Amino acid sequence: MVATSLRQLLDDLLTSPGIGESRTRYFDARPARTAHFPSWLDPRIVDALRARGVNELYSHQAQALEAIAKGNHLVVVTPTASGKTLCYNLPILHTLIHDPEARALYLFPTKALAQDQLAELNALSKSLPALRMFTYDGDTPQDARRSIRARANVVLTNPDMLHSGILPHHTKWLSLFENLRYVVIDELHAYRGVFGSHLANVLRRLKRLCRYYGSNPQFIMASATIANPRDLAERLTGEPVEELTESGAPTGEKLIILYNPPVVNPELGIRAPYLIEAARLAIRFLKEQVPTIVFAQSRLAAEVLLSTIKSAVEAKPGDAGLVRGYRGGYLPGRRREIERGLREGEVLGVVSTNALELGVDIGHLDVAILSGYPGTIASMWQQAGRAGRRNELAAAILVASSAPLDQFMVENADYLFGSPPEHALINPDNPYILIDHLKCAAFELPFSAGERFGEAVIDREVRALTEEGLLHEAGGRYHWTSETYPADHLSLRTVTTDNFLVIDTTARDAREKKGRKVIAEVDWKGAFQMIYPKAIYLIEGEQFEVQELHFREDEEKVAYVKRVSVDYFTDAISAKGIWLLERFDRTPAAEVEHARGEVLVAEKVVGFKKIKFQTMENVGSGEVELPQQEMQTSAYWITIGQTLLERISSSRDELIDGLRGVSYLLHQLAPVFLMCDVRDLGSWLGEETPVGEERRVRTVREIRQALLELPHFSPTIYLYDSHPGGIGLAEKLYTLYPDLIRHALTRLRECSCQLGCPSCVGPVNEVGRKAKAVARALLERVKREE
Amino acid sequence: MKREEKAGRGRALDIRCQGPGARADDVRQVIKLVEARRVYGRPHHQQKTLAELVRGSYQETDFGTVLVASRRFPPSYRHGLLPIGSVLEKPLHPLAAAAGSQSGKELRADRLLYVDTETTGLMMGTGTYAFLIGVGFFDDDGFTLRQYFMEDLDQEPALIAAFDELLPRFDGIVAYNGRAFDFPILETRFILSRRRLPGHIEYLDLLRTSRALWKDHLPDYRLTTIEAEVLGYRREADDLQGWMIPHIYFTWLRQRRPEPIAGVFARNVDDVLSLVALAGWQAALFHDPYSFDLAPPEWSGLGRLWEPFSWERSRACYQEALNAGLKGELWQRLAKRLASIEKRRGNWGEARKFWEECIAADERFDPQPWEELAKHYEHRAKEYTRAREFVLTALDRALECQAREAILARLQHRLTRLNNKCEA
Repeated sequence: MVATSLRQLLDDLLTSPGIGESRTRYFDARPARTAHFPSWLDPRIVDALRARGVNELYSHQAQALEAIAKGNHLVVVTPTASGKTLCYNLPILHTLIHDPEARALYLFPTKALAQDQLAELNALSKSLPALRMFTYDGDTPQDARRSIRARANVVLTNPDMLHSGILPHHTKWLSLFENLRYVVIDELHAYRGVFGSHLANVLRRLKRLCRYYGSNPQFIMASATIANPRDLAERLTGEPVEELTESGAPTGEKLIILYNPPVVNPELGIRAPYLIEAARLAIRFLKEQVPTIVFAQSRLAAEVLLSTIKSAVEAKPGDAGLVRGYRGGYLPGRRREIERGLREGEVLGVVSTNALELGVDIGHLDVAILSGYPGTIASMWQQAGRAGRRNELAAAILVASSAPLDQFMVENADYLFGSPPEHALINPDNPYILIDHLKCAAFELPFSAGERFGEAVIDREVRALTEEGLLHEAGGRYHWTSETYPADHLSLRTVTTDNFLVIDTTARDAREKKGRKVIAEVDWKGAFQMIYPKAIYLIEGEQFEVQELHFREDEEKVAYVKRVSVDYFTDAISAKGIWLLERFDRTPAAEVEHARGEVLVAEKVVGFKKIKFQTMENVGSGEVELPQQEMQTSAYWITIGQTLLERISSSRDELIDGLRGVSYLLHQLAPVFLMCDVRDLGSWLGEETPVGEERRVRTVREIRQALLELPHFSPTIYLYDSHPGGIGLAEKLYTLYPDLIRHALTRLRECSCQLGCPSCVGPVNEVGRKAKAVARALLERVKREE
Repeated sequence: MKREEKAGRGRALDIRCQGPGARADDVRQVIKLVEARRVYGRPHHQQKTLAELVRGSYQETDFGTVLVASRRFPPSYRHGLLPIGSVLEKPLHPLAAAAGSQSGKELRADRLLYVDTETTGLMMGTGTYAFLIGVGFFDDDGFTLRQYFMEDLDQEPALIAAFDELLPRFDGIVAYNGRAFDFPILETRFILSRRRLPGHIEYLDLLRTSRALWKDHLPDYRLTTIEAEVLGYRREADDLQGWMIPHIYFTWLRQRRPEPIAGVFARNVDDVLSLVALAGWQAALFHDPYSFDLAPPEWSGLGRLWEPFSWERSRACYQEALNAGLKGELWQRLAKRLASIEKRRGNWGEARKFWEECIAADERFDPQPWEELAKHYEHRAKEYTRAREFVLTALDRALECQAREAILARLQHRLTRLNNKCEA
């Protein structure tokens, strides 16, 4: 059987009925721009490159080598597979073979990427004088650590390990710190928001120790396309950085399709479910043997998509393993196996979360299907970039969901294709983040009076830590005087570092510790969403029912699961509550108050829905008893007075529907203004309640009941930073709320639905038939009050 | 205390950040202790300075001043049942090698420094200070115990300099749990004082030998347990616990009341004396074990310690353990160990005897002796029929005891092979 060509398949797709609302954009192939190897580059390296078939450099590689040779800090911004690793590997190998004492530190956001890059370095340096290059992370055996610390020329690690395993033990890393010449930070774009703010502080600590040991490393960074790579690089490193953005690598022709699933119920504004549409497209390509990657927006979506696609594509016996899943939580062995399968062509298709957005080496695929807008333009380009070979046609298809943001992007293709990718925002001086790193830094070396931390003046913080008894002043220096190990109490990524092991007890008793079967890992936060008792946990399409979840502090964090075969999956029902800690600012207005401040957000999974695979209908539910998770963060909120509300409607029910519509709409629209992800914000409709003893969370249904029964009806819409402590999103919203309200009104006026749809106030069957009208009236009043 | 009192503001206050209540109680206990001493402490002591209390004086170094308290003990001074000088009477080999000496040089007990540090925490890493270094050493006609103390954290360079000055006179440092604790902390503190520990120094850790000797005999092998249960030394009743020490020092830094810190000095004296007494005890144990009334697990541990140095001595100790009636799990472990050593040495008869005894005594199913004997019948004796009979018995027993799949599979595999051999 001759497989239909990709061109043919795309033609078919673009001429099929129902494609009418979709948009396409075509990108021409672009030939390579090359340059000679610089004359100073060691001939042994040149030979090694030639042996691998590399006879010239791309222009950006040659430019990078020159910039690095000049001693500049550098950030290279070029697309996936443009050979950016050579930009840093070549000059570093050159230095290392001439100076065996020289050291380089490579940072990658994940352990897997460090492993990949080590393999790459080893391959490249095979014919060079022996160099000692090692990964150093949680998986490094204890007995190998000592020798790595003392002797490795190149250490490949991650920010977390640098933070908790290397910096606090710097005396053991003497030779690294004394001879550190290069710090490589790859996947720079991954370090934005809170994670990036942490890394900036980790790098401040690193530079502080380098100064102590008399070294002054050069920073070499590589990033996917974002709006402000140089700015991010400079904020992270605190150094002036040169930027290289022109790729000399060739690209094949590429078609990008923004696919809007057809409307199946015009009155309700309901489109064909995007997951089903995405699966349908993927199945079509895979059946014709076209290597395809499907990106899903959540772990659950990835598993649901995978189940559907697998059952259609792996029809024959012997097809098993043709389509695989890939997401956080899979064990490293499984991930490596899938990556290898993709590179070597045994695996034809993969359904992934954004885990494969990073530079994990999976070779080249022909088609990328993005099921749902990934939340940012930068991610969209990253995911679309997974499809593409040098000389052939490739395609990326964004299947829009009915979420307002997705619909906005499909309707405004020029906006999507024309806008620069998002800014990567970090705030290293965020007091919550800063103070924790100051503790770590003081543990590493006493602070001198008047010392700065990066750019930050820290006298006030040092004084406060001294008053707390954590620091002690002696001889003009501030010493750490606590028994604690501060790096242990600070995780760079999530609230806690504890992961839950998911253990298959189908064949074995849960209490038998020996030889037990761990099938996955789930992080602390994810655990309550995914592995509550009775949940169906999906892993590459296989179904497991959770029997027990152990989460108490004094017990091992595990979930025991048993294999099952059911036709539904489960979706957690959360309850939430917000309490006011402190109000920083407010607009003086009688009827509508805009404010910002600190809030306490509590969340808890209280139950789950069972959803049928094929139809996505709700077929049951259950309750669970799990701990409540609380965080302090910053919020922007609008409180609307009773008089104003009574002028709009006499029915509290309708008003609540309208308010929910407004809060949905504002939450979905705000990311466009803040250049952040929808998930970076949370929203909630409630009331202004000061924080008190009893902090009972409520489901959406319960909060409605509570609002209905309020003696004085003056509800509040909250939009809050979903990162603990906040990263300034709420503050920014407070300064631009007039724009937000104006755009929300425009959106309501222009939305073509009658009674509310996912693109404005939410689907009518969820928010009620009056929601859209009430929301519009509400927003008009709110605007008038300004 | 491994946790700060104040939960980090701004971090999510998930249920676990509230921490176990016991920690706060710990601190309260320390405060109570410290306060009690202030109120009820003998008033005339309150006028005394720390230097007076510990009878110390200030030593000048090129890097500043450090408080030093010195004491002398005659070698006949008893710390427990043995005099501290007994370590001088026996050869240090093989104790030194078993405790971690690397060079193979013959070490002498009077060329070693017996060290115990008091620190600001138990966590490793650069933020833990050694604020008190207690050292003991033999000189002309006695034992000197010297304690270096930094009255404030900026005196660390002086503290390390004073300690460093001692080192050229010695070949090695002895400590208890030194490998995991004192040695790396000293190394870190040296580097942070812009120094290196001299390269000629050997590092001996008596925890290694103590673990071998007493892990099956004592409830734990903390130095305080060993001094009480083995050395026969009872500390004066004191409510000062090891975990309080960092708090006592932090309180000293802020309030400068000398009594609690003087208590730490006293405790450190006991630790150094126990260390040198323990070295003497262990040196004697190696060379004159019959003069001790050893329990079977101690014999077994001593055999283990002798193993790398003299099989004869080791074997003799093991034999004592067996004769003295080593029991149960410990017996089983020793028998298996002896079997594999005898096998390695080519003493098949001996090895078989131990395996057979293991099998006879086995209550659950331990596959190793069965497999070893099966291998013996099959590959050495080449008695295939007998081997097959034996494996069949093993399989029965394994099934009866519900052994793991993998074990059954291995036995099954062996049986198939033997069946073929028998037919052939």
